[in-house]
Amino acid sequence: MKVSYCPAGDRYVLVEYGDAELDLRLNFFVVRALAGLTADPPPGFVEAAPGFRSILVHFDPARTSRAALLDHLAAVHELQPDVSSLVLPSRRISLPIAFDDSATRRAVELYAATIRAALYTEGGSNIDYIVAQNGLPDREALYDKVLGSEWWTAFTGFSPGLPFTFSLRAPTELSVPKYNPTRAWTPEGAVGMGGPCLAVFPVESPGSYQLIGRTVPIFDALAHNDVFAASPFLVRAGDRLRFFRVEEDELTEIRRLVLENRYRYEIAEEPFSVAGHLGRQ
Amino acid sequence: MTLEIIEPGTQVTIQDHPGRVGLQARGLFPAGPVDHLAFRLANVLVGNDPGAAGLEIPVGRFTARARFAGVVAFCGAGSPSLNGAPVPLWEALEVAPGDVLASGAPPGAGFRLYLAVSGGIDVPPVLGARALHTMGGIGGLDGRALIRGDLLPVGAGRGRKLRVPQSLRPVHHRDWELEVVRGPQADPQFLTAADWREFTSARWRVNLNSDRLGVLLNPHDFAWARDGAGLAGDHPSNVLDASYPLGGVIVNGDVPTILGPDGPSSGGFTVIATVVHAALWKVGQLRPGQDTVRFREVTPEAADALAAHTEFVLDPAHLDEV
Repeated sequence: MKVSYCPAGDRYVLVEYGDAELDLRLNFFVVRALAGLTADPPPGFVEAAPGFRSILVHFDPARTSRAALLDHLAAVHELQPDVSSLVLPSRRISLPIAFDDSATRRAVELYAATIRAALYTEGGSNIDYIVAQNGLPDREALYDKVLGSEWWTAFTGFSPGLPFTFSLRAPTELSVPKYNPTRAWTPEGAVGMGGPCLAVFPVESPGSYQLIGRTVPIFDALAHNDVFAASPFLVRAGDRLRFFRVEEDELTEIRRLVLENRYRYEIAEEPFSVAGHLGRQ
Repeated sequence: MTLEIIEPGTQVTIQDHPGRVGLQARGLFPAGPVDHLAFRLANVLVGNDPGAAGLEIPVGRFTARARFAGVVAFCGAGSPSLNGAPVPLWEALEVAPGDVLASGAPPGAGFRLYLAVSGGIDVPPVLGARALHTMGGIGGLDGRALIRGDLLPVGAGRGRKLRVPQSLRPVHHRDWELEVVRGPQADPQFLTAADWREFTSARWRVNLNSDRLGVLLNPHDFAWARDGAGLAGDHPSNVLDASYPLGGVIVNGDVPTILGPDGPSSGGFTVIATVVHAALWKVGQLRPGQDTVRFREVTPEAADALAAHTEFVLDPAHLDEV
């Protein structure tokens, strides 16, 4: 596989794998290589953070040279088994989703009123725009595609614990342009799409993804719910998300139960076999 | 042993250094002071560990009452006073219970003021740091900027008193020069050579809407070396999402943005240049809506030399006893 190393300032190296294409095998390699790198970090290693087909390595130039770091990274890459033989740690997490809920509609209306009224804000929701962009007959067809897929968490980033997920069924089946310019406010728990990527917003934040609905909290530093007791981040790279549909009033009730620690998140440990996945495609 | 906030200013936050390192893969930039040089100096002046928790005060404005006896120091940009009488920046001062510490806007250039107290601000660490991450709403006091009436616990300090000699004090400007390393996504694949020359020769205006997440610069119509970005998006500034370096200069459509310590830790925009570690402190002193920036390209090796120069001043052996 082609690997390139680009300096990112004096303390980071951006390592990129393969070509700029949406091939999930590149991401499977990233997930495995990042685990290998952090399990056995070289001298001067500070941290590393992934992208879809890249790893950003943060190092301390007072404790290592760039050349020594690149040698170590090359050794990590050499050690990786063939992607098709990987079995990656993974969990299946089922989350309720209320489509076209009032919180995401409020974000769209706020954007249209204060930043820009665009094609994607018509009707006070982004959903019809996503439907049109993908040539779907109606909203239900979009919802069916979201609910019918397992969504692979390629990595987390942007804001605390935000999962960037791609459909394991057909990664580029759905795609939609992002906001331009960026939205200033997105509600916590919003579910959105940008390009072929589906994401859940863990905190109130800016964002450029088209919004489709809302789910339960996925980040909680105060651990209101036991699911956050060991870590404030619900979703990890390599986890698969599934969504089940609820109405907005049900979601509101579930979100209340989460805060009162009376809701149990549906999480199943289920290692992910790349060979099995490729065989199903 | 507390510091009582009387006037909270504009988004005064508790920070420590280097902040919450090690969580970028989970989506968290480290937080911490935007001007980490002035912040660490303030701590060194009062005998603290350089990374101890202190206050970051935008526009220099705030008022607080000491409910402890100890030593404090103001560094950065502001017009500090003690019980109404002006006191110097870059120098440790003794305070007694009841003393009022205040500051107004900086009289000259610069934007952020830092206050260190002997013993440090002793709020509980969250995910390994006391630094407030504004987007994440974690750290600091209850995950938020300070408000009137907050009582900040102050730790027990050694109370050393130092001052920074005039010759070693960071100099603030209205028109800044920031050292950057080219890339990781610059010419020839992303920008044209002419784009890069424009980027490093233009004077960029600092947008009024700049904050701890990022410093926005004036829009610029780059020519770009490619027509689009394929699957990554419609605009040539788009790439498949990747993690960003702190201090990275991303181009979001037409708007270059310098990523700050609470900024998005990853995204789908090209990072055309990265501010070197030694110059990151300057980003904290850029005054929104007023200052300008010019970018100067350096090699990573030159950046190492600049870093050694910047860190020199943090050695107490190079400072004077008060």
